[in-house]
Amino acid sequence: MAAIPRLTSRLRIAVTAPATVWLRGAAQSHTWNRLSGGGDRPRHLDLATLARLRLIPLVGFVVAALAVPVTASATTIYAASSLSKVVPSIAPGNTYSFAGSDTLAFQIENGAPADVFLSAAPLYAERLHSKGLCSTPVVFALNTLTFVTPASNPAGITRVQQLDRPGGYRLAVGGKHVPLGIYTRTLLGKLGLGRALTKNTVSSYQKASDVTSVIALGSADAGVVYTTDWYANTTKLLAIPVPASAQPLIRYEACVVMRPGSDTTAANAVIARLSSLAGRQALFNAHFGLPPKT
Amino acid sequence: MTFRTGLFLGGLVVTLVLTFLFLLTPIAALLLQVPPRDLPGLLRDTAVSSALIVSLKTNLIANVLFLSIGTPAAYLIALGRFRGRPVLLTLIELPLVLPPAVAGIALLTAFGAFGLFGSTLAGLGIVLPFTQAAVVVAVTFVAAPFYLRAAISAFAALDRTQLDAARDLGASEAMVFRRIALPLAADALRAGWAMAFARGIGEFGATLLFAGSVARLTETLPLAVYAQLDVNLDSAVAVGLLLLAISGGVLLVAKLPPLWSSAAPSSTAGGW
Repeated sequence: MAAIPRLTSRLRIAVTAPATVWLRGAAQSHTWNRLSGGGDRPRHLDLATLARLRLIPLVGFVVAALAVPVTASATTIYAASSLSKVVPSIAPGNTYSFAGSDTLAFQIENGAPADVFLSAAPLYAERLHSKGLCSTPVVFALNTLTFVTPASNPAGITRVQQLDRPGGYRLAVGGKHVPLGIYTRTLLGKLGLGRALTKNTVSSYQKASDVTSVIALGSADAGVVYTTDWYANTTKLLAIPVPASAQPLIRYEACVVMRPGSDTTAANAVIARLSSLAGRQALFNAHFGLPPKT
Repeated sequence: MTFRTGLFLGGLVVTLVLTFLFLLTPIAALLLQVPPRDLPGLLRDTAVSSALIVSLKTNLIANVLFLSIGTPAAYLIALGRFRGRPVLLTLIELPLVLPPAVAGIALLTAFGAFGLFGSTLAGLGIVLPFTQAAVVVAVTFVAAPFYLRAAISAFAALDRTQLDAARDLGASEAMVFRRIALPLAADALRAGWAMAFARGIGEFGATLLFAGSVARLTETLPLAVYAQLDVNLDSAVAVGLLLLAISGGVLLVAKLPPLWSSAAPSSTAGGW
């Protein structure tokens, strides 16, 4: 509490002095003593202490600071967490919010102040579009899945088909309603391993990055992550080959959020940057796939 | 009453109203989101009932653990006179300030497969990740400090002359603890336990990372809320309200005077 008087020392002269006098006056008032039990009995609220701490001006200051309207100058970009490294390098100087695409779509539907939405799956961008909450989505990047184990591969998994043994492994995968989980189920289905998720002990995560962490930390024997996430953790994760024919089509879509006061010009510029030569080069360097040039 | 005093008291009432409005509006909004008559239908989902069972079972074990081990430990910290007491008190509070996800990573680095004790545990045939035991560990880790703090304060606030009086009358140290200290601190201990319980039953981040989210095994109610968000908001809200009802119920019961014991032992002369 000692920090509080120091913090407000400049305000103290102007504001606190009268407030302190006022509080002390109140503390000594007969009425208050009677209300708070009076006499020598301990009071529930010691006003003299309160005044000494200069809490009143501090509260006033906080309220004043909160009342100043926040002016958003930069464009606010809501992007899938798998884009957290690459997109800020393409469009620097903006405000970013990274999370699962489903969470971001949910926030935008509830009025979040986003200008651009970058979704890891067409589902969410198109859902917002159909509700009139964002412009026609455009594909700006592609991705694939990688089957991974911890670098030391404690369970000794060399082929994906080993997952078909009953009760065999601890797997970490995306939840069945988030993009990574939907893609993972498509991949396993195409590999004829549709029942792998019932035969093994499966932990589901809503965030792609949680799947990566849990496998890297050795809680899971194996799991399925975005290829770009594997590239970011090659020292901790071992990739097990998956036939290319089983890969689901993973498209990242961008759209301009339509809400009162959104900066659509700046938002369009961000999306144009993602599709520009420089943007495509950065995405390529980060191991994303690229859609055909438009 | 002078005008100034009236103004001040009015100001106090305003802050009280603001506090309640701010804290209760979101909870009231949750209740408005889902019509009460839809709740039973939304909660009849088997995913919800299995998550409820996982939550109750793991929290019960975690609570028994930190009550039985934490209470005597808190008694020693509160009444013992030894050097480094402030440091010890601070160390106990450390898990409180860890963000839940960091708590999960901390547990993994200690007890996970690649953690400090991972190979030792594996040698004993214990694999914690993706098991209910891991949920118990996560809940105990985040909830116990709440109880310990309260228990230490409760024991520290005891009137030592009463404890000494019991000793003078020939009570053993164990008897002083059981017959004097525990009953006198009971109200505060119960309040501390209720806070710890509420924290534990709502535990999310550490459980997700350390124990995983395995349906019917480690998926607790808070994890179920998060998973349901992607499917059905109403169902997520319904599970949230269920959690709120459980925690709210426990917090309320802990504040009510106990029905089962006689009046609080204001006199320490209970016969032994």
